[in-house]
Amino acid sequence: MRRIPWSSLFALLAGLGLGLVYAWTISPARVIDSEPVALRADFKDHYRSAIAAAYSATGDLARAQARLSLLGDSDSIEALNAQAQRMLASGQSFDEADQVVALASALDQNGVDIPTSTPITQSTDNTTNTVNTVIALTSTFPASAFTYEVPVQLTETPPVIETQTTSVAATPRPTRTFIPTAGAPFALTEQESVCDPNLPDGLLQVLVFNSNRRQMPGIEILITWEGGAENFFTGLKPELGNGYADYIMTADITYTLQLRSGSDIASGLSTPTCQTPSGEAFSGGIKLTFEEP
Amino acid sequence: MKSNRWLFIIIALIAGIGMGLAYGWLIDPADFFDLTPDTLRADYKADYVLMTSEAYRVELDPGLAARRLAIFGSQSPSAIAADGLVYARANGFADEDVVLMQELVTAMQAWSGIP
Repeated sequence: MRRIPWSSLFALLAGLGLGLVYAWTISPARVIDSEPVALRADFKDHYRSAIAAAYSATGDLARAQARLSLLGDSDSIEALNAQAQRMLASGQSFDEADQVVALASALDQNGVDIPTSTPITQSTDNTTNTVNTVIALTSTFPASAFTYEVPVQLTETPPVIETQTTSVAATPRPTRTFIPTAGAPFALTEQESVCDPNLPDGLLQVLVFNSNRRQMPGIEILITWEGGAENFFTGLKPELGNGYADYIMTADITYTLQLRSGSDIASGLSTPTCQTPSGEAFSGGIKLTFEEP
Repeated sequence: MKSNRWLFIIIALIAGIGMGLAYGWLIDPADFFDLTPDTLRADYKADYVLMTSEAYRVELDPGLAARRLAIFGSQSPSAIAADGLVYARANGFADEDVVLMQELVTAMQAWSGIP
């Protein structure tokens, strides 16, 4: 009867452990052929910016979606909106942040408009129909079609995409169809005085929503008064909401406010006088809500 | 007899180390995250170059395109774009995409002064 070679077995296991420690921690395999999902967060931002810039140039939403799926974001729209805020807050180019917001808006609109087949009303040229058709068709692609082998799949240009490419090549590319700034004017849906002694005096709060009641970051707001004007943007205080912006009004000055991309005009804005329950007067604020029709 | 025993132990140890390295390097390598773009697989790099090309076609801003390509690190923008173009040609990218990438390569070469 043979004895079990415990010492050799133990040496084998010890060697296995040593080998794994070396291979996993001391000298891991050199990384090549990685995927975008493994990129560091700031490089993912660069990647998203490039996707948004390409989308802005081509209007190819299906391709943009496929590329975004490579980054493994749980919610691409939120990721894009958050990135736009970071870009604006860090003083990066407004145009580049605008491209990121535009892509988020396009994805958002795509998700809602397709089932209802609602025609896009802000454009009446022939390109509108083309875009609607293409997006409706591409939306039927399963998500898994845009997973691992996307770059290769993209080059194969499936018939649906080819149709779009051909028609777009024959007509001006409808790049900006889904960009909110090119849409119908925002409506001023709510204007109210805010009497809260805990808020700064003369606080003018602006909230901007899209047609799906999602707050919209990166929207430029123009405020004017006699002898002056200033711009500010939504999304710079994400803790208060992506579509939130504020401005401190000076007492005794009357302001006019409008979204730069086109909206109803809120005029005659001035710091309201409020009263505490004990009858003490203090300066209140104003809250304006704009909504995309 | 005793030296034989030690020989088996050493052989087993070496075999174990070899198996551990093979498993840790080849079969189930460590998971990586927070990587830099230069580690991306060639097709992803080429697709990134294509994105930059698509944007460049409209923006016509070689500086901006070069900045986008610069995330790949040590190579020059024109070399990065050229690598992407080579991959695209070798892997059957659509003709229109290849044309876009060619335009970017030309622009990057002109921008960086490469004749």
